[in-house]
Amino acid sequence: MGYLEFFGRRLARVGFSLVVISALTFTLLQLAPGSFADIQRASSGSTGMAGAAAQEVAGQFATRYGDDVPAWQQYLVFMKGALTWDLGPSYKYPAQSVESIIAQGFPVSATLAVLATLIALAIAIPTGVFAALKQRTAWDTGSMFVLTLGHALPNYLTAVFLVLIFAGAMHVLPAAGWDGPQHLILPVIALAIGPLAVLARYVRSSMLDTLSEEYVTAAIAKGGRPGVVIRKHVLRNSLIPLVTVTGPMLAALMTGTVFIETMFRIPGLGLSFTQAASSRDMPLLMGTTLFFAIILMATNLVVDLVYGLLDPRVRAESGRKLRGSRISRKDVGRPGAGSSEGSRAVVQGLG
Amino acid sequence: MAFISLWVVLVLLLVAIFAPLVAPYPPQTTDYGQQLAPIGSPGHPLGTDTLGRDILSRLVYGFRTAFLVAFVAEVISVVVALSVGVVAGYRGGRADGALMAATDIMYAFPTYLFAVLLVTVFGRNFWSVMAAIAVAGWVTQARLVRAQVMTLKKRDFVEAAQGMGAKGPTIATRYILPNALGPLLVTTSFAVPAAITTEAGLSMLGLGIADMPSWGAMINEGVRFATSSPHMIISPAIAFAVTLLAFTWMGDGVRDAFDITSEGRR
Repeated sequence: MGYLEFFGRRLARVGFSLVVISALTFTLLQLAPGSFADIQRASSGSTGMAGAAAQEVAGQFATRYGDDVPAWQQYLVFMKGALTWDLGPSYKYPAQSVESIIAQGFPVSATLAVLATLIALAIAIPTGVFAALKQRTAWDTGSMFVLTLGHALPNYLTAVFLVLIFAGAMHVLPAAGWDGPQHLILPVIALAIGPLAVLARYVRSSMLDTLSEEYVTAAIAKGGRPGVVIRKHVLRNSLIPLVTVTGPMLAALMTGTVFIETMFRIPGLGLSFTQAASSRDMPLLMGTTLFFAIILMATNLVVDLVYGLLDPRVRAESGRKLRGSRISRKDVGRPGAGSSEGSRAVVQGLG
Repeated sequence: MAFISLWVVLVLLLVAIFAPLVAPYPPQTTDYGQQLAPIGSPGHPLGTDTLGRDILSRLVYGFRTAFLVAFVAEVISVVVALSVGVVAGYRGGRADGALMAATDIMYAFPTYLFAVLLVTVFGRNFWSVMAAIAVAGWVTQARLVRAQVMTLKKRDFVEAAQGMGAKGPTIATRYILPNALGPLLVTTSFAVPAAITTEAGLSMLGLGIADMPSWGAMINEGVRFATSSPHMIISPAIAFAVTLLAFTWMGDGVRDAFDITSEGRR
């Protein structure tokens, strides 16, 4: 299969998935019992808005999508809006459009995700390399054990422990809020620990694979100094696969900040999503869901394309089977690292 | 490690089953004389929350919720995964294509996003939370079964059965299915803590099952008081962590038991 055909097929699959996801979201939310106005009436006084205002908002929605037209026509209106980046006003915050809420929240979530990825990479690579070089020593088993802890716990639970220690017991960092760099530290660490564990194991097993290659033995046999061999032959070859894990990981983190943002009250996309869900702010909920899905699919697509460019075998197998076998060999039993599988694993690691 | 974890899981399971006998109070009972009592208060060994509810009791009933959701969700997810996986792997063709399309879609839809949507639509009740977890989980398991079946159907004993005139359904259920169960058991033992995490995560977002006590809800309620009354989240957080680790290590043990190749690599 030529690269163009591979490219076309992947693109078509992404397009198809997006249509299905948006349609699914739209239909699900049509079925939802209890309209926005009802929820607001039930909770008015505390967080809800007045009944008249809520009715008016629902009226605006009706004029935008048509009141008595079939659902599929409303869906077409929604999709047209989505394609032209015009998603209409939010229910809960009628003064703001959904796209402006997304535009405000996204940089916040992206900041968290990028920082967490950088920290995870910066710690995971040396840890994994060291563990592999000192295989079967206390350093290896010890660091891998600690990482298992980080991997087994969801990020919000890690966050609870961090808050208890650094905000509750030591009073050195704020427990919640979004006001200056000191508010970044705990959320970013909590986000980074899960991916860090996945990455470090990945680096370790990738290093071990490379170390047992014949060309490494040959390089040592020719009299290469261990430091040089490791830097020039081992590191370079075992870190290339990291590209395929890091991309989806970043995307997963970007959409996986939901729990952390809710817990630390950080005004990012994740918090908007949760709040939209609990107040039944349908336009905002559909908008954020679609945006999350697009980010994930776009990243997976890019990684697959880059990978297809680097490794022709992936093209030949249309990308699926080969990567499956690679994973089962690398990271037995646990859905491990490798392109879209990796993002899944990381997403699950995030809770 | 795996055996200790197995014992921990068994004890936790007993606690969940016999929750009404273990817990000192019903989980929703409020004691307005004793609000925010600290750990070690008389009558409330782990203290009380803002409404004066006994934290130990809520913890014990929280186990019950978590196990119940995880168990039912995994049973459904495994049954669906087995049927779809066997058909897709054995028959191939259109069933296989449909499974792959579903996989693509689910991979672009993180578990918790889907769970939040389902709960938003069908309400904060037991069945929607459980359905959310099962729907999210079956795809990975179905793909695993499919891969197993595809290798198994080329094995000699299967071909022998075919040669003897056995029909498709018989081969699939009698010869292929039992041999595909091992790896499925491994993923399922990792899926249980994942299901518990999703349930607690939903409760953490305030979108869990409305009328059942949950660790996630306890953390959600307590985290605002993390600096003033940390006892509200310390015990649920530790209980939660112990449970997850026990399940993870037990899963590692199950995997090592089924997989000879991973020996020595860990």
